[in-house]
Amino acid sequence: MKQFAILTKKETLQFIRELKIVWLPLAFIFLGITQPVVTYYLPYILEAFGGGQGIIIDSSMKDIAGNEILASTLESQFDQLGVIIIVISMMGVVQSDKANGMLGFILTRPVKVESYISSKIFSNYMFVAGSVALGYVVSYIYTNFLFTSIPFTSLIVALLFYLLWVLFVVSFTTMVSTFFNSQGVIALISIAVLLGIRMIVGLNPLLDRLNPASMSEYAKEALVFADIDMSVVWSVLITLLLSAIVMNFAKMWIANKKYNID
Amino acid sequence: MIHLLNISNLKKSYSEKQVLKGVNLNVKKGEILGFVGANGAGKTTTLNIITGMLDYESGVVEINGLNQTAGLDYKKQYFFIPDTVNVFKNVSGLDWIHFLMNLYEIEENNKLEEYVQVFQMQESIDKPIGTYSYGMLHKMSLIAAFTINPPIIIMDEPLNGLDPNAVVVFKDLIKSYVDQGGNCNLFNTSFGYRGKNLYYGCHFKRRQNYST
Repeated sequence: MKQFAILTKKETLQFIRELKIVWLPLAFIFLGITQPVVTYYLPYILEAFGGGQGIIIDSSMKDIAGNEILASTLESQFDQLGVIIIVISMMGVVQSDKANGMLGFILTRPVKVESYISSKIFSNYMFVAGSVALGYVVSYIYTNFLFTSIPFTSLIVALLFYLLWVLFVVSFTTMVSTFFNSQGVIALISIAVLLGIRMIVGLNPLLDRLNPASMSEYAKEALVFADIDMSVVWSVLITLLLSAIVMNFAKMWIANKKYNID
Repeated sequence: MIHLLNISNLKKSYSEKQVLKGVNLNVKKGEILGFVGANGAGKTTTLNIITGMLDYESGVVEINGLNQTAGLDYKKQYFFIPDTVNVFKNVSGLDWIHFLMNLYEIEENNKLEEYVQVFQMQESIDKPIGTYSYGMLHKMSLIAAFTINPPIIIMDEPLNGLDPNAVVVFKDLIKSYVDQGGNCNLFNTSFGYRGKNLYYGCHFKRRQNYST
């Protein structure tokens, strides 16, 4: 436990010194602001640029409920560009340690592989989750101001579901970063898989039960319908289990000394 | 008597090429052992096996009677200084040493300050590691190693990149540390050196490993 704390502290210090603590939250704040602002001002923006050119702007757009706007922030901003940003910020989480010898250096100290991987995932998750939550809160503030208010319970429930999806994104990217040596390959595989499983949500109910990306869909439903089917509990457990499994794969890969770069 | 380091009939192959063909060596407390040999002779491979970075096919590798199955207890028996000291460049040398001391569960003590003065790093120890020269990186590693004072300090190519004066200073510091009761040292170098003997030689030859 002590090693975990020491390594987590080191990771946190690294975020601060590399200024990741500045740009990642800013990126999510920007994403959070975009949807409500663009949706609200779209008619004016189009008019300012010479009219709709055949595009019909529904004047009732300004009457869209705030919860729908926030749901679309999650779906279009966070689930697409947001996931890409998370993957890019994390693609070197283990790969860079392999490449610069830091992984070998750390593991030749009295450090367990479990402590190394869990401190990486914990510190990165806390940081990414904090950034996502910050962007989400900023989006809520703008939505509240420009559209309608959102019930507090829906807000929190949706955020909690979404952060479960973020947990899987962080764990999966860490696992891929452990397996591969090229940041390009890590980014490509992680983005392709994560966006891919997000895209297939809704195609098959059984698959949705097993798909961690369903957490994002449940977050949206919590906002839009303020009601969630209790069977979602199984999906939550499966998402947590899959996150634990990918973390374990990463740990086993390192423990079997498959991390040396020749 | 339990030797501090006991390696017996160590064998290791890469694909079909056998690199270590039965290495045997024992090191006692207070000894300084140098691995000397040409590139590809198996020196770094042996060090990597001792530190747990590489698996091996057969043989015995023990430090203080413990092998790698002892997990963290085995890792606490040595401090490894690799040939390239890759550290987090944005932290100070002092923070880095404290980080390592915490991993080894070594409490704050006066030794750190003493070694900082011995190595003449008072001005730079609080500065970011990214500003350090190659020699200063090695000094920082040695300060950490001597402060933590594990049973064995293992160094891979410690003389690389050091100017002739620095080489002399380095050897004097190692010898002084051991003479004052520090534990044994094991280091790896591609060349022997003339003049004052520092270590017992362990000669690695390609296609034929043996110890003297």
